[in-house]
Amino acid sequence: MSDETTVIEADDAALLPGTPEERADEVAHGLSAIPPEEVPLLPGELSAHPSPFQYVMIAVVLCVITALEVGMYYLEGEISDGLLVALLLVSALVKFVLVAGWYMHLRTDRPIFRRFFIMGGVAAIILYMIILTTLHAFA
Amino acid sequence: MSEATLPELAEAVEHEIGLHQHAATNTGTTNTKLGMWVFLSSECLFFGGFISAYLLYRDRNVSGPKPREVYDIPFTSVTSFILLMSSLTMVLALAAIQRGDHRRFRIWILATALFGSVFIGGQIYEFTEFYREGLALSTNVFGSSFFVLTGLHGAHVTAGIVWLLTLWGMSMQNRLHVQDSERVEIGGLYWHFVDVVWIVIFTVVYLIPT
Repeated sequence: MSDETTVIEADDAALLPGTPEERADEVAHGLSAIPPEEVPLLPGELSAHPSPFQYVMIAVVLCVITALEVGMYYLEGEISDGLLVALLLVSALVKFVLVAGWYMHLRTDRPIFRRFFIMGGVAAIILYMIILTTLHAFA
Repeated sequence: MSEATLPELAEAVEHEIGLHQHAATNTGTTNTKLGMWVFLSSECLFFGGFISAYLLYRDRNVSGPKPREVYDIPFTSVTSFILLMSSLTMVLALAAIQRGDHRRFRIWILATALFGSVFIGGQIYEFTEFYREGLALSTNVFGSSFFVLTGLHGAHVTAGIVWLLTLWGMSMQNRLHVQDSERVEIGGLYWHFVDVVWIVIFTVVYLIPT
């Protein structure tokens, strides 16, 4: 065993991910140009997370649904209350699923996370629907 | 230019490209992440209880203003939009740190905290306006259930802002590396959860007709 220590000249740029061309491309394009499949997976992740562009697209969809929801609010009296409530609840559910699936990565992570979250959500809905019905909240 | 020994350089490269060993557990993930999901699952029951209390009490006023008399839907829509956008900046922060792009990570995480602060500012303004219009915590059962539900949500957002600023501070001190991406992801899970809870509150409390 040699007790010699190899001393090398370290170039800071060499420690950065990707080639200099890829980094220049990333700077030029704003959002990261590194493909999602090249990013190391996080614990519990089965496949790569969505790309920044997909995240932005999801945000656009969320904004459109929110705008539709607010528009629906002003339809009160124009359409039946039952239909209005159903449309609002479906819109909220779609937004909920989009955020949980894409932003919280339940689509691409291990199913165990999805099961825990659905278990909590469904348990809450069942429990409180029973309580509200018992107390005639919908009467 | 700096001098480094080979082991130091190897460690630095490992930090940057994120080649790290995940803790071996029989669930195939880390206990920290699983624990956060269990916590969020329990939070569904927590917020479900307060939303149910609101649904039960909102129409049982005997005095004071009613929900439709105080709500300012355009204003609340704007603050809801801001909170939704904070979820976008949160995932962009996570994507940035996973790629080792610390500069963009700091920008996005700070933007997320800023959006959250604007949301809280809007909530404080809304509460103040309601108080001026005669609706306080003890005015009627609608006021009690409304302020407790939205106030607890606001407390969760405030805790999230502190968490985000802590991550930003760690990054500024170079204490947050690529292999710490899971820390950011767990903070992000909490942040997205308060966002999805607000999606439900905004629809059920503000938009659904009484």
